[in-house]
Amino acid sequence: MKEIISSNIKIKTVNLSFNYGRLSVLKDISVEFPECSISAIVGPSGKGKSTFLMIFNRLWETIPGARMEGEAFIRLKNKWINIYDRSVSLPDLRRSVGTVFQTPNPLPMSIFKNISFPLKLSGVKEKQIVDKKVESALKQAFLWEEVKDRLNEDARSLSGGQQQRLCIARSLILDPEILLLDEPTSFLDAESGRIIEDLLLSIKERCTILLISHYMDQIRRIADQVETFE
Amino acid sequence: MRARFTEIFVTSFTWVSGLLFLSAAFTVIGFLLVKGIPALSVSLLFGETAPVDVFLLRRQVLTGLFPAIAGTCLLVILAVGMATPVGLAAGIYLAEYGRGSLKNFFSLFYDILAGVPSIVIGLFGFSIAIILHRYVNDIYPCLLISALALALLVLPYLIRTTQFAMESIPSKIRLTAPALGATKLQNIVYVLFPRSLPGISSGIILAIGRCAEDTAVIMLTGVVASAGIPGSLLSAYEALPFYIYYISSQYRDAAELQTGYGAAVILLVICACLFLVAFYLKNRLIERMFYSR
Repeated sequence: MKEIISSNIKIKTVNLSFNYGRLSVLKDISVEFPECSISAIVGPSGKGKSTFLMIFNRLWETIPGARMEGEAFIRLKNKWINIYDRSVSLPDLRRSVGTVFQTPNPLPMSIFKNISFPLKLSGVKEKQIVDKKVESALKQAFLWEEVKDRLNEDARSLSGGQQQRLCIARSLILDPEILLLDEPTSFLDAESGRIIEDLLLSIKERCTILLISHYMDQIRRIADQVETFE
Repeated sequence: MRARFTEIFVTSFTWVSGLLFLSAAFTVIGFLLVKGIPALSVSLLFGETAPVDVFLLRRQVLTGLFPAIAGTCLLVILAVGMATPVGLAAGIYLAEYGRGSLKNFFSLFYDILAGVPSIVIGLFGFSIAIILHRYVNDIYPCLLISALALALLVLPYLIRTTQFAMESIPSKIRLTAPALGATKLQNIVYVLFPRSLPGISSGIILAIGRCAEDTAVIMLTGVVASAGIPGSLLSAYEALPFYIYYISSQYRDAAELQTGYGAAVILLVICACLFLVAFYLKNRLIERMFYSR
């Protein structure tokens, strides 16, 4: 373990191993990711890339038989925290570490309700603030112009690419410091994928991005650092 | 060749089975309508009493079906009203909180309860009434005891449908809210429960039907042939299924039997109305939870 954590590091794991029952998926991984950058995680299927992302939002904990060893740290509001420390509250952690899944997962609600859902969860009620934040999140996700007149429509009526941008907007509305994306463009056509790449480039100044991707050209276009799992 | 034959055989068998069921249902309903509709009249409902007087509770209906209709409706509303909150809570417990051997124990217990014949549940209600009567003189088999016993009868259905509806939510949806910072309770309240409403409401509809038609339970716990509109939860009452049973087993002439068919048609209509109400409430609830701004 490196003793000194350099100042621009945002995420760090130390001797991380992960098992599903007897199956070992990650072994002794110690890596660092710099802040305000896009780090791509690449490697063949089944090598634990998605599991690795779930280390940072702790979503794996509901999976029966899953077990983790080692430590994971992130720097939130300029303070290093061990995310598996007992004092860490899961809802708070997940508000700072946003997640976007491989398939877009809008809830069966209106566009507006989808985007404002995280605010509702964290208890923000003032209508003006909610409206403003929804608009700003949609603008950050390059979706505002397309949906501003149909905010009350079912989010599932959007196209795949729009749905994925909606999910990104929904994660961005809480101003997360870290955004985890698990192959966010793999179900989208090239055009929609490019829009999402541009969007990621535009938010990386505010947000450290970990991105799983299978497309080498995508990684060349947007990644600042590449971590290979094999 | 053989595989193709099996293919055709299985397909046609499923079709025939489906049609058989459909035609059986249509035959029963058609038979009831043909026999029952001629019997329907104002006097079937209210006897010799003027309907206005009945609704203003000025006079009791002595010979009509109105008290039985009122009794059945009250019974269904009370029983389903008591069973639903408990059933939903227990179902949510099994789906979301219960783990390991305790969960298995509860599941087994609910399955046993689901398999108990309704006459035994009726006996149970009857015993409760007797025990209570020892302590409180005013308690006899009554509307409240019947409703409690019926609630117990439908509880396992409600628990199981709630549990299965919630467990069958795909993990993609299940993880959405936690990934956005939802607590477990928030996930249940805002996502998992609303998503399960269609499944849960079909459980409630089944429960309504079961409460409306059951005769064995109420026969032992408070239904009588002639009681008028029940004045309180602790009074005896009339109910349509009991009336149908009673008339069909001891009718004196063809006209009296005809009123039994009439009562059956009314029971069907009441069930249909209750289903529609449940369906409407479900849609309104989903609308409010998911789409209003």
